Amino acid sequence: MSNKKLFGLIFCLMFPVGAAHADEAQLKRGAHVAVEVCNTCHSLKYLKYSDFLKLGFTKAEVDAMRGAKGMADPLISQMAPADELAMFSTVPPDLSLMAKARDGGANYIYAMITGFYTDAKGQTANHVFPGVKMPDVFMIAQADAAGRKGIEQKARDVSAFLEWASDPQAEERKALGRYVIGYFILLTGLLYFLKNKIWKRLD
Amino acid sequence: MNKIIAWVDQRFPLTYFIKHELTDYPTPRNLSYWWGFGFLAGFVLVIQIVTGIFLAMHYKPDSSLAFDSVQHIMREVNYGWLIRYLHSTGASAFFAVIYTHMARTLYYGSYRRPRELLWWTGQGLLLLMMATAFMGYLLPWGQMSYWGATVITNLFKATPVYGDQIVTWLRGGFAVDDPTLTRFFSLHYLFPFLIFAAVAIHLVALHTVRSSNPSGINLADKDNIPFHPYFTIKDLFGLGIFMIVYLLIVFFKPDLFIDAANNIPANPMQTPADIVPEWYFLPFYAILRSVPDLAGGVVAMAISVLIFAAMPYLDRSRVTGGARYRPIYRAMFYIFVIDIFVLGYVGAHPPAGTLKVVGEIGTAIYFMTFLLLPFVSRWEEKFVLARGLPPAVEAMARKEIAEAEGNV
Amino acid sequence: MSEENTIKDGADLSRREFLGTVTAGVAAAGVAAACVPFVSSMNPSSDVLAKATTEIDLSGIAPGEEKTFPWQGKPVFVVHRTPDEIAAMEASKGGKDPEPDAKRVQKPEWLVVIGICTHLGCVPNKTESGWLCPCHGSVYDNSGRIISGPAPRNLDLPPYHFVAENKILIGKA
Repeated sequence: MSNKKLFGLIFCLMFPVGAAHADEAQLKRGAHVAVEVCNTCHSLKYLKYSDFLKLGFTKAEVDAMRGAKGMADPLISQMAPADELAMFSTVPPDLSLMAKARDGGANYIYAMITGFYTDAKGQTANHVFPGVKMPDVFMIAQADAAGRKGIEQKARDVSAFLEWASDPQAEERKALGRYVIGYFILLTGLLYFLKNKIWKRLD
Repeated sequence: MNKIIAWVDQRFPLTYFIKHELTDYPTPRNLSYWWGFGFLAGFVLVIQIVTGIFLAMHYKPDSSLAFDSVQHIMREVNYGWLIRYLHSTGASAFFAVIYTHMARTLYYGSYRRPRELLWWTGQGLLLLMMATAFMGYLLPWGQMSYWGATVITNLFKATPVYGDQIVTWLRGGFAVDDPTLTRFFSLHYLFPFLIFAAVAIHLVALHTVRSSNPSGINLADKDNIPFHPYFTIKDLFGLGIFMIVYLLIVFFKPDLFIDAANNIPANPMQTPADIVPEWYFLPFYAILRSVPDLAGGVVAMAISVLIFAAMPYLDRSRVTGGARYRPIYRAMFYIFVIDIFVLGYVGAHPPAGTLKVVGEIGTAIYFMTFLLLPFVSRWEEKFVLARGLPPAVEAMARKEIAEAEGNV
Repeated sequence: MSEENTIKDGADLSRREFLGTVTAGVAAAGVAAACVPFVSSMNPSSDVLAKATTEIDLSGIAPGEEKTFPWQGKPVFVVHRTPDEIAAMEASKGGKDPEPDAKRVQKPEWLVVIGICTHLGCVPNKTESGWLCPCHGSVYDNSGRIISGPAPRNLDLPPYHFVAENKILIGKA
């Protein structure tokens, strides 16, 4: 197992986000965080506004989220890439697949968002991604205990949402998988008994 | 229906062929489930071709569109995610099945005369498969796709005199780029049909010499049974077990064989932290990196794949049955298999420190296994004959030795 | 050597055949089910289906003007008819495919038809009194009805409805 993957596994154990069992309420909260906070600088271009309907939002709620953009429009970043390059000296990466592009997935994202702190020199740094150009958008480095709890919840929610965003068909896939595997267990069982019956003839 | 078949039979050997090569085809009754992996490989080939054709209906082989088209397939095409995962998992399944198929052949000595050509057609199939998989991996145009293709096409620089020109010719440009992608798509679509044809040739060779069997003895006619229904049902049962494992991965752990970095679009300006090929290439990748010289590494890697072809001549023992009656060959086989796993682990990590040394030792063991075989096999032959073998096996061995010595 | 016909007793064979038949049936059902995702993947994907409807703003079309809009890859003619044109169309029944004008419009001043000639599929050109198809000379009136020429039917009507005073939504989601 590569060191990256081992690191990812440790994340999964150390930072249980519960993303695997995210409920609809959490995904909706996460969607709001993503649209209101992350989308300012990050695009989520493989998501369309119409995809939010799949999360249980009503058309009116989605209309509020999309503003002037069309239903079938992708979620591009609100800041223009040229401005971002000037401001951050890099274009913030697209988030549609971020939960799959990092070992540790949603747990890595959670750890990174909550990993900001103020170092000895008074600068904002990040435990998980040293030298990251992303600012501490939730201001967790300066938060007090109560504030920190709120931010951690937001981070959990948005991580769960980003995991959904990277694989919107996960639930459908697993549901279908249960039927398909069940079918093959049945078929293989029948084949087993038929094989034994046929081979008995040899004696 | 019978009338239609009779009409065809007058003009085409349909019934004859089916009877002779399929239903009544005599097969040793003692074939174990290890003999079912060839059938599995054929089935996976069909899965790959079918899923590949349907993916090609939506995939765009253009460097500016490829990555997006894969996301289009995953998110918007009806059941696109399923067809994609069947195909990506299928590639790994194909190699798992084929490597097991090869292991069976090596263990039981099924490459020995008169099955040399059968072994070599299989060798050719392996090379076609590796080329197909390599080209297919570029198509999603992720970071690992791009950089894996860059590293491997760079290897051709080792060719004397024309190295650089060959690499440029291969890529259609000065780096892996759009021309590379388009031609890899064209060839990736073509090769599976070449594989299909080569499988037919492989099966003709098989039917000429007939299957070997676990006992190592040429069975009497009475010990052969018709392929249908005995082995059709046995192969189908094996297929059922395979499908359960394969589909568990497809439905519940589909990203198992997709490197995280491949979820990032290819960026020619930035190399990922570790460039790692897919698992089925790892041992060869480790061998490549174990030799410090570029050309040396390429040669070593090429030989590590091709040397299997020499097995019928490297193994000079006339005791049949492969590892079954030959304790030293059996030990060498197991050491070789463990060594391959070790090399695989080495190939997955950066070559530094202890791992580098392990890789070098592993490479040495790999080649030594083949190089020692001619000498060890002869010595072992004397050893087991002296120790005692089952009468049928001993008789066969002595007969073959006598013939060989009579010809000297 | 057809051992499957060696019957020890009838019950044995029928049990064997039963298991074989059931297994074959289950396998066949599986093969049929396995075809579904592949056939389904050839149907329009969700992004194509999203384009099933198109919203059209009518405010830019002056009386007497006609504009063409794409919908599901086909041209749609939208005509802002003058009162004279409306009167003329209501007075006539059309040609070889008689149809009252009132049945072809929701609001008489707006005619919305699919701009594909019902003969062999060319796109007709607008004329004073309707349309003329350049391919084989079919003539349509200002209600899109076939007057002369080889086309068998009036220009087809797309499903649409008014979502606002000056906006229509063509197509069904």
